Amino acid sequence: MNSTSQASRSSITSAIFDVLDPIPFGFFVAALVFDILYVETFTILWVKAAAWLVSIGLLFAIVPQLINLGRTWFARGRTKALAINFWLQVAAIVAAIFNAFVHSRDAYGSMPAGLWLSVVTVLALVIGRIVLAGDRVNYREYRHEQA
Amino acid sequence: MNKHEHTRRHGLVLAAASLLALAGCGEKANLAPAQQMGENPPLPRPKAYLLPPMKVPDFAGWQGDARPQVATGLQIEKIASGLMHPRQVLVLPNQDVLVVEGNGPGEEAITTPKQLIAGKIKNQSGKGGKGGNRVTLLRRKPGGGEWDKFVYIEKLHSPFGIALVGDALYVANTGNIMKYRYTPGETKMSDPGTELGDLPSTVNHHWTKAMVASPDGKYLYVGSGSNSNAGENGLEVEYRRAAVLEVDAATVASRVFASGIRNPTGLQFEPQSGKLWAIANERDEIGADLVPDYLTSVREHGFYGWPYSYYGQHVDDRVRPQRPDLVKKAIVPDYALGSHVAALGLLFYTGDALPQYKSGAFISEHGSWDRAPLSGYKVVWVPFANGMPSGKAQDVVTGFHSADEKHLFGAPVGLAQDADGGLLIADDVGNVVWRVTGARR
Repeated sequence: MNSTSQASRSSITSAIFDVLDPIPFGFFVAALVFDILYVETFTILWVKAAAWLVSIGLLFAIVPQLINLGRTWFARGRTKALAINFWLQVAAIVAAIFNAFVHSRDAYGSMPAGLWLSVVTVLALVIGRIVLAGDRVNYREYRHEQA
Repeated sequence: MNKHEHTRRHGLVLAAASLLALAGCGEKANLAPAQQMGENPPLPRPKAYLLPPMKVPDFAGWQGDARPQVATGLQIEKIASGLMHPRQVLVLPNQDVLVVEGNGPGEEAITTPKQLIAGKIKNQSGKGGKGGNRVTLLRRKPGGGEWDKFVYIEKLHSPFGIALVGDALYVANTGNIMKYRYTPGETKMSDPGTELGDLPSTVNHHWTKAMVASPDGKYLYVGSGSNSNAGENGLEVEYRRAAVLEVDAATVASRVFASGIRNPTGLQFEPQSGKLWAIANERDEIGADLVPDYLTSVREHGFYGWPYSYYGQHVDDRVRPQRPDLVKKAIVPDYALGSHVAALGLLFYTGDALPQYKSGAFISEHGSWDRAPLSGYKVVWVPFANGMPSGKAQDVVTGFHSADEKHLFGAPVGLAQDADGGLLIADDVGNVVWRVTGARR
């Protein structure tokens, strides 16, 4: 494979990743906000909305997580931060999968476990992003190397 | 590298553990159905699941001359087949039989991801079959065999309850009570009917409106099931739900007669005491052995717990805000039928043809998705003495599913007693009406 096609493939992958990766993050943050609102108000709307956010967030996470997997373990220029971020993403997804089942319980049956799983999901994703930010210079270099 | 290997192994362990946890929740019942029958049933601690206990046999129907099994001394015959989800049977004074054919209106909005999946699983069994939205009249043929069928009333809206008072025939659709003038002998209802009054019909999570007339014919009692399993659609949609409504047949004034009964699917007056009794389906998803469905006398102004508690003061923690004031006065139902049997038909037997079943109630159990192994899927008989249940339920009609629990042939719903004392059973999965009589000697 020549270097031009590799470069364009990489930039398409990056574009797909950059477009899709924020979506589950936003969904899981919103789910956490809605869980808090439900626990505070007992208004069913919020917990039902949170259930959708967790489930749909997981669907949106599939493609960017696969790209993340490839980048972290199968591309050149692996860094420690990328690896830490990867495992935090895995933890977040596992927590979110459990959370989707917990949120399928009726009414307050999903609480407080659902709230804590939402907290774990969001915390893992937030820490992952912070770790990557500290590694931003290396990350850029890694992408240049790819190009 | 070593470090990576290490983290990878951790990841595998984590993934394996989560798979195990998911698989481990398809839990089975610990109590035999008979253990949870009668007064003061044992109630295990409620559980929270990732996946609740589930078992749904595949629809098979009755092939050829296949039929349910009956207790010793009885025989069973098919008097009608090819019906569209028959739910209730009513015997008319001239011995014609009306069969109400209906199923849920399918109007409940999908508001959770769970509903997308659960609906598909539950309908495998044939319980989701299309309802005829009509009443069919059956008339016995002189030569024997299946009875003649006539379409009697059409264009109903998820009908269930039916009652005849004098020449007034009442049919309870999911959203109203229709009143027709009954003319004996007709094979098609000539009266277009008028709407007597409306019934709660928003959401329609539980859609059946069981109905019985008081012995003097002045009042109609209507079972209005809850709009949720345990309050998960918000308590504001539970207005006049999980209740027995009393409707004055003359003025159409109505009130909540008793409340907190999650889904009162059958109402009858007990012949000895003259009191109103109900069968009710209790809540799901807190255990294969919770909560037992029940048979109970219905006290005026009585509160029976739903959604806040069950069997008196056993609080359901899924419901918020809680109402300790209501929980305190929650009445314990008289007689437990077993968990997830899904009682859908009630008949106090007064005939002479089946003397062994005199003074007692037949109850048809439709079976539920929320229990493994299966429970219900049969007609039982509960003995009564002095107007109260007096012993364990006995199996009367069984064999509605295959022995390996994989296939479902039929499921009993409405019950009626004909003029000869035979027991009529509507079977809404097999789309059949069965008639049980004493065995020929």
